[in-house]
Amino acid sequence: MKYSIRSARAQDCRDIERMIMELALYEKMPDQVKISHKELERDGFGPNPFYQCLVAEVPEERSSAEGHTVVGYVLYYYTYSTWSGRCIYMEDLYVMPQFRGEGIGKALMASVAKVCREQQCVRLQFSVLDWNKPSLEFYLSKGAQDLTDKEGWHLLRFDGEALESLAEEAP
Amino acid sequence: MASFNLRKAEPKDVPDILRLIKELARYEEMEDQVKLTEKDLLEDGFGDHPFYHCVVAEVPTEHQKAEGYSVIGFAMYYFTYDPWIGKLLYLEDFFVMKEYRGFGIGSEILKKLSETAVKTRCSSMHFIVAESNQASINFYKRRGALDLSLEEGWRLFRIDKQNLLKLSAEE
Repeated sequence: MKYSIRSARAQDCRDIERMIMELALYEKMPDQVKISHKELERDGFGPNPFYQCLVAEVPEERSSAEGHTVVGYVLYYYTYSTWSGRCIYMEDLYVMPQFRGEGIGKALMASVAKVCREQQCVRLQFSVLDWNKPSLEFYLSKGAQDLTDKEGWHLLRFDGEALESLAEEAP
Repeated sequence: MASFNLRKAEPKDVPDILRLIKELARYEEMEDQVKLTEKDLLEDGFGDHPFYHCVVAEVPTEHQKAEGYSVIGFAMYYFTYDPWIGKLLYLEDFFVMKEYRGFGIGSEILKKLSETAVKTRCSSMHFIVAESNQASINFYKRRGALDLSLEEGWRLFRIDKQNLLKLSAEE
């Protein structure tokens, strides 16, 4: 068996942290990563998890040069659409470069699609950077629609000082 | 009209919340896309596993519209997770009835949500806006929001139920 997909465990957080950084490097934003395996453990494996995670694992004999057997992950959470109800948002999907081309990415995504079915979620949403051609093509081939293109949706953010200032003025 | 009150939504507010959801969808020219019912909202917001949180704005009896509504605005949000910075507050819907705009109610709702974000250790508040909705984009940018689609190139994607079923069968 070339690989398996399973739910992440608290002990996987160091591997997840490593791969989060690898993905951030690929997305050209490594300096934006502020959390470590400690926060991942607290926030994903406590009494009130803020995310769900599946990992792809290979047998020992196929481990990477550095000895890693956890070679891919998908991190997602439940969201809500006031138009159609329960949804899942896929936050991160990543497979280490040397393990690509075997269908691991597809298997991780199919696993999330299965969760959608089981939990009666009507949609899977996620964001992709406009220059990330390989990912854009992969998702479009699976029937994904680019809503920024089609409907003009833009993602906005309040953080840092802007968020603090607003909070100070709360009634 | 000076006085209004912001409070956490209760199960009895569900009919008003659905009414306002439909009004917002009408404003976004997508009213026929609202499939959610009062039953869904009740189960999903006030059951064992809440998928969303809601804040409502209400006015005192003497300022009610002819039809007798006292709930005249709402904001629906939930918590999401960014593997780079941790917990986020995601603003899903935000609406004040046309007749009650211009009194600062929207601003106060936004401040209340920002305060909630800071109190619950969220690094950031995210939301999407249609690029055709310049009034809203300007409202948010005036208060320090950043357009991540423009600044960083993020595009929002969706896979709908039909394609999800196909994908989950490929596992």
